[in-house]
Amino acid sequence: MWHIAKREIYDNLNSLRFALTTVLLLGLMLINAIVHLQEHPGRMQKYHDAATKSLNRLKSRTNLYQIAQEGPGYLYKKPSSLHFCADGGEDFLADNVHGGFYAWATDDLAGFWQLDYMPATLNRQNIRPDTIKIDWTFVIGYVLSLIAILFTFDSISGEREHGTLRLTLANSVPRHTVLIGKFLGALVSISVPFVLSILMNLLVISTASEVRLGPDAWSRLGIILFIALLYLCLFLALGLLVSSRVRQSAASLVILLLMWVTFVVFMPSTLASIASGFSPSMTYDKFNERAIQLVNELRGEYEARLQDMKDPVQKMEFAGEYVIKDVTGRERLIHEYLTQQHAQIQLARSVTRVSPVVLVQHLLEVFAGTGFERHQQFVENVQRYAREYREFVTDMDRADPESLHIIGTYEGMSKKPISPESIPMFEDRLSLGRDFNAAAVDLLLLMLFFAVFLSGAFLAFVRVEV
Amino acid sequence: MITTLIRRELLDNLMTFRFAVAVFIMLLLVVANTAVLIKDYERRLAAYNTALKTERQQLQERKTYSSGSLDVARPPNPLSIFNVGLDKRLGNEIWISYAFVPTLWDARMRGTTNPLLNLFSSIDIVFIFEVVLSLIALIFAYDAIAGERERGTLRLVLTHPVRRGHILLAKYISAMSCLLVPLLISLLLAVILLTTSTAISLSTGDFLRIGGIILSSIVYLSVFYFIGMLISAVTRRTGTALMLAMFVWGFWVLVYPNAVLAAIAPPEASQPRMVSAYEEIKQIWEAFDRERKQFLANDAFPGEDPDFGMVDVDPNWIWGSGHEYFHKDSSTLRYDYHAVSNIDKLSEASKPQVPHAQDYYRFLGPQIVNAAERAWLVRKQALEAIFVQPAIVDRILLRGSPVGMYDAATQAWVGTDLRGLRDFFEAARRYRRTLIDYYYDKNAFGAEQWFSADKGAVDWDSLPQFSFQRVDVATNAKRALPDVCILVMLNIILFVIIFLIFIKSEV
Repeated sequence: MWHIAKREIYDNLNSLRFALTTVLLLGLMLINAIVHLQEHPGRMQKYHDAATKSLNRLKSRTNLYQIAQEGPGYLYKKPSSLHFCADGGEDFLADNVHGGFYAWATDDLAGFWQLDYMPATLNRQNIRPDTIKIDWTFVIGYVLSLIAILFTFDSISGEREHGTLRLTLANSVPRHTVLIGKFLGALVSISVPFVLSILMNLLVISTASEVRLGPDAWSRLGIILFIALLYLCLFLALGLLVSSRVRQSAASLVILLLMWVTFVVFMPSTLASIASGFSPSMTYDKFNERAIQLVNELRGEYEARLQDMKDPVQKMEFAGEYVIKDVTGRERLIHEYLTQQHAQIQLARSVTRVSPVVLVQHLLEVFAGTGFERHQQFVENVQRYAREYREFVTDMDRADPESLHIIGTYEGMSKKPISPESIPMFEDRLSLGRDFNAAAVDLLLLMLFFAVFLSGAFLAFVRVEV
Repeated sequence: MITTLIRRELLDNLMTFRFAVAVFIMLLLVVANTAVLIKDYERRLAAYNTALKTERQQLQERKTYSSGSLDVARPPNPLSIFNVGLDKRLGNEIWISYAFVPTLWDARMRGTTNPLLNLFSSIDIVFIFEVVLSLIALIFAYDAIAGERERGTLRLVLTHPVRRGHILLAKYISAMSCLLVPLLISLLLAVILLTTSTAISLSTGDFLRIGGIILSSIVYLSVFYFIGMLISAVTRRTGTALMLAMFVWGFWVLVYPNAVLAAIAPPEASQPRMVSAYEEIKQIWEAFDRERKQFLANDAFPGEDPDFGMVDVDPNWIWGSGHEYFHKDSSTLRYDYHAVSNIDKLSEASKPQVPHAQDYYRFLGPQIVNAAERAWLVRKQALEAIFVQPAIVDRILLRGSPVGMYDAATQAWVGTDLRGLRDFFEAARRYRRTLIDYYYDKNAFGAEQWFSADKGAVDWDSLPQFSFQRVDVATNAKRALPDVCILVMLNIILFVIIFLIFIKSEV
């Protein structure tokens, strides 16, 4: 077997395709590294500036009512240091959630803060042509798979055409050994330039002092490399499968390329468009209408019943109740709106898993800490923090015996000064454990694809006539 | 003789397996995507129609001239199904006000159901052609010469008294006529699907535009066939030719369009230029503000409050009193002043103030229009230099690949390119002039109705409606012509090179 693998490797190393592959991969990875070095410090700087500004504003508040009413302000998503691995469409995902108020105010009452998920401010100034970002996902998902096909399409049909396959099999070599040998040969000869280009990429990135990769990042990179190789194996197995089924190598290439184009280039977006039609989400107009209706209803009810009340404390309690009801109602609606949007995306993402390139894209996004999964994680972090923040307000109020404990009104809440250190601060985090859970299905599907293709190739090759 | 050659080649190509697969895949992709795209267009059109309705409604609710700002919506382009270009990306609703010159940087996006859907790239018909047609052309071409040479049939053919040029021509004609089959059938199916949709009605102009797309597609296809042939002519073995062809395809279709901008992107919005332009605009408005304050100081009515203490009868009417403010946004160089007053019913005590207010607004209105125009002159140039120029350079870089040229040509045909989109904003600016003319016509700036609806609400019915017509086919053709010409020239150059190589090559 090693003999066959070695022969394959030697064959490949001298070929034109090996040279072209090396040049292509090195060039792409170099571009990727340089772009990352140019963009990443700015991105980090922007995040730090914005987050610090937001924190400082929060710390400047000393009054409990102000804290409870104005809210934590903008909460920012921390950019991943592995952004170069997967861009994840971060441009289309919001980088912040606003925990603030701007709903309404009367003379003595003001609407409380709520979490407001603004969509990403799509860069409408941007009239430059949009292109696919050159990240690892592109290099692996598109380029590497194409290369895998170009290396394997003739590995069996070509040899059969030349008659060398018969020669090989004339020796007492079991067929599966030949197949595995060919597989390993192709794997090694593509892995060499691929791993080289990745090493060069990481070398360039890690030499820059602005970009620091921690041990966590390196372990993530290791996992990403493993996924990339698995994906490569998948396409090699597919190539071998088609190559052993089809008599002519030209026909085998045509089939493989058209399969590749369908699965890699078209399937993800076509299926996503079809699937997103199945679960339409609330339109913005509808949402807006419901929000206005909700606010007006509560307001009307409040004003109507306030007329009959005489006792100031009772009035205050009623006002507090109204404020809380208003904010929970609005937040529930916003949450529903967001959940519907996320569900629509989630469905489209699940359906597109038929395409292996989508699997690898999901996996890379998860481990690079970008993309939709990561965005959902960020939203969850924000929601957890919002609960913490509200609990903090209640606890502080409860701790003050002088307070009337009517949250929602200025007069009814504790007036004790709050030390800025005690206010909970938001910090966005990534956790590897959670990522594994998110990735498990995709990883399994990828392995399943590989197993199916490899056993298919095996069966096809065993039954093939030489 | 040449007809015999063509017939032979044609039969050779038509009967192949690759031809069948190519046709099948093309049809599948085009039909599936056209159906999706038509649905998407219908959704956008519905959103546009709602926008039209609400816009009209909103305008009718404005009771005074000063609050008479209105939104106008951009209709989705039905041909965006072929090449979506910027049609879905740039804002589709723009605010028209006498105080502000609208640009594409101020437009809003309306009617997108779920902004997160942008995570999935959208595919249009031209993209399918870009990827699949070029691939099929190369697959047809790679063994055109190298294969015959390898099999020895080339020598056989040349023993007959045939000119070498004729052989090339025969190969080209037959292969192209084969390749046109999937192209034309899939386009035909797409057009049939389009006409069955009730939302889309294609005009004669649209059919001519589709004709333009077909023309560009044929030229594009032919470029890739020639590239394949060139590779086939220079290589000895089909294996090498195939490998080279595939890498050329991968590079030009997949890698180059995405990598070139990352590798040699023109510099981002230059900060100093931005700051200086913003300063200049700011000065214009500050000068305006000084004059405004001076007017108020010289006015018979003491104090600075431009509302002149006018109040509404109903104290709860939140928007009753006027509000004057500057709208500033340095990232798009926006800086404008708005004076909106929307008093529903004047209280008795405010009545004596009315002539003062009229004087003030008679002075202010033209001043605002004037300052807005002057600021626009500065802003226009700066935006052009900061945003438009780099975008144009980007598109020039993309033309390093035939894919870029083809994309640009088809976008120009359907009118979803930058120029086509800017036509809309040009129309919006013209409409703003219409609004201002209407104000002058009605003598609105000094009228009481400018700030209060005490004497009845403004009747907006006599204001002409906004309508946007896409440019005519001739203009589209003119815009597409340079790219089509370059593609044609590329064809000729490639053919000449192949011819020279083939003539000199040993069989």
